[in-house]
This record gives sequence, C-alpha cells and structure tokens, in this order.
Amino acid sequence: MLSPSEKAYYFALQSLKEKRYSLASDYFDRAAPEFSQEREFILLRETIRLLVAVKRELQSGSDNSRLDLEEVFTNG
Amino acid sequence: MNKDSTLNKLESMLESFLEVVVAQNEEKIEVQGAISRLDDIAHGIQEGNDLTADMGEWFARHNHWLGTELLKKEERSRIDEIFKEIRRELRVSEDSSPAIGKIASEIDRWQNVSRQGGHKVVLKRGPEIAPLPRTSEDLDVTVGLFQNQMERLGSLFASAAGRKQHLLSVLDDTLNSASIQKNKDALILSALIIYCLKQSGYLVKPYIERLREAEELQKGAPSRA
Repeated sequence: MLSPSEKAYYFALQSLKEKRYSLASDYFDRAAPEFSQEREFILLRETIRLLVAVKRELQSGSDNSRLDLEEVFTNG
Repeated sequence: MNKDSTLNKLESMLESFLEVVVAQNEEKIEVQGAISRLDDIAHGIQEGNDLTADMGEWFARHNHWLGTELLKKEERSRIDEIFKEIRRELRVSEDSSPAIGKIASEIDRWQNVSRQGGHKVVLKRGPEIAPLPRTSEDLDVTVGLFQNQMERLGSLFASAAGRKQHLLSVLDDTLNSASIQKNKDALILSALIIYCLKQSGYLVKPYIERLREAEELQKGAPSRA
C-alpha cells in the first residue's frame, strides 16, 4: 500500500498540474520525509516555495500601493 | 526596473518552468493517480466496503496499459503489491458473485502479464525442406500453395467455431484435433489463434505447452492436412 508521503507526493503533483501552488507546496512538505533526498523532488519543492513567496510579496506590495495624502497648512 | 516589475518577471519565469515540468511528467502523474486510486479502493475493500464497481471502472480505464511499455518496473511492482492485498480480501468461492469472480480473474491476468515481463512468445517451426524458389514460376507455386492452405484454415476455423462464443473454446477444439487426429492444419490454426490471444493480453502458456505436445505427436506419426 502507499505510504502517506507517497500519497502526498501524488497530490502535490496533481495540485501543481492544477496550478494550485500554495496547496502543492503544503503537499510537498508532507511528502518530504520520504523524498527529501531526491533531486527532482528538491528542485520542484524549492521552485514552488519561491513562487509562493513571490506571489505573496506581490500581493502584499499591491496592498501597500495606496498613498495616504495629508494636507499640511502653513501659517499664512 | 522597479521591484514589482522584477517580481512579476520572476513569477512568470517560475510558472513557465513548472508548466514545462508538468507537461514532461504528464504520463507519470496519470500513472501515479491510478496507483493512488487503486490504493484507495484497496483500503475501502479492507474496511469491508463493496467497491467492485470502482474496481471494474479502474480496469476499464487502465487495462489498455497491459502489453504496453507505459508502466515502469517500480510502478508495476506497486500495482502488483496492491493487487495482492485486494486479492487477499476478495476470497473468491463458489458463492461469490460473478462481479467478484471477474475482478479476481482480471487481477490474475495483470499479475500474469507482470510475471511474463518482456518475454516474447516464439513459435518455432522446423527447417525448410523444400528448396527456395528460384524462378517466378516457383514463387507462384509457393504462393499458390499457401493460398490453398489459407483457404483450408478458413474452412477449418469456420467448422471449429460453429456456435461457440469464445475463441478459447475454438482453440481447445483445434488443439484436440492437432493432437488426436494429427491434423497439420489444425496445428497451424492453433498457433495462429494462440498468437492472436497473446497479442490481446491473454495468458497462453498452457496452450503453448499443448501446441508443443501436439507438434511432438505429429512428428512421430504421419500427419494429416
């Protein structure tokens, strides 16, 4: 029968195929106990982690794109 | 170039890379999906659920993999392991439903094909006795003789098939004819049927053994055509 890590690896690849990168990243973390020494696994896992981090950064950047304007009145 | 622009480019590159990886691993993902599904079915059966319909659907979707090179050795091993578990749970008996019997025989078929691996079935014939054709006339005679034989094989098959439902029943008759009646045409027809069944993924080893026995019997006695 399949181990939990093997199942997680399959779900990680399936999520990757569906472009659900955050979910794929979670599944890759769950698959890590059994596959963390495999080169292809490491490459995919790190690439997805980076992509998720970039997306998060872009998302937080757009939240901060608003400028708060404050009027300052000088004497006279 | 500002920070957002750089990040957007990086995002695009990473997504493109991952799309390529997914495309290159399309088959692997499909196979792993099938193995995962089979594993779920096995767990369900172990828990006492009736999943014969799910099992039937799995075979319907993936039986075409048999006889192809799609499955790697380790993938085939995983499938075999899971099949062993399912087979253990099925407990086929005389009281079992036809569906369970069918699933058990499909599992056996998968495992037999796995055991055979990449072995080819080679039906050997003895050396040519007649000289090779040297003239076009000789070639025509050889072709003509073969044509006659094909017609006889066709008649023999029609006679043996009768109202039978399955090709295996026909094969049984032709093998009997080859052994008992020393019928040479029946021997050749049996070999042809065996090869067709083999191509369709059937287990043919017992029939090959019978064919060899019939051939040995015919060597020792005058043959009938």
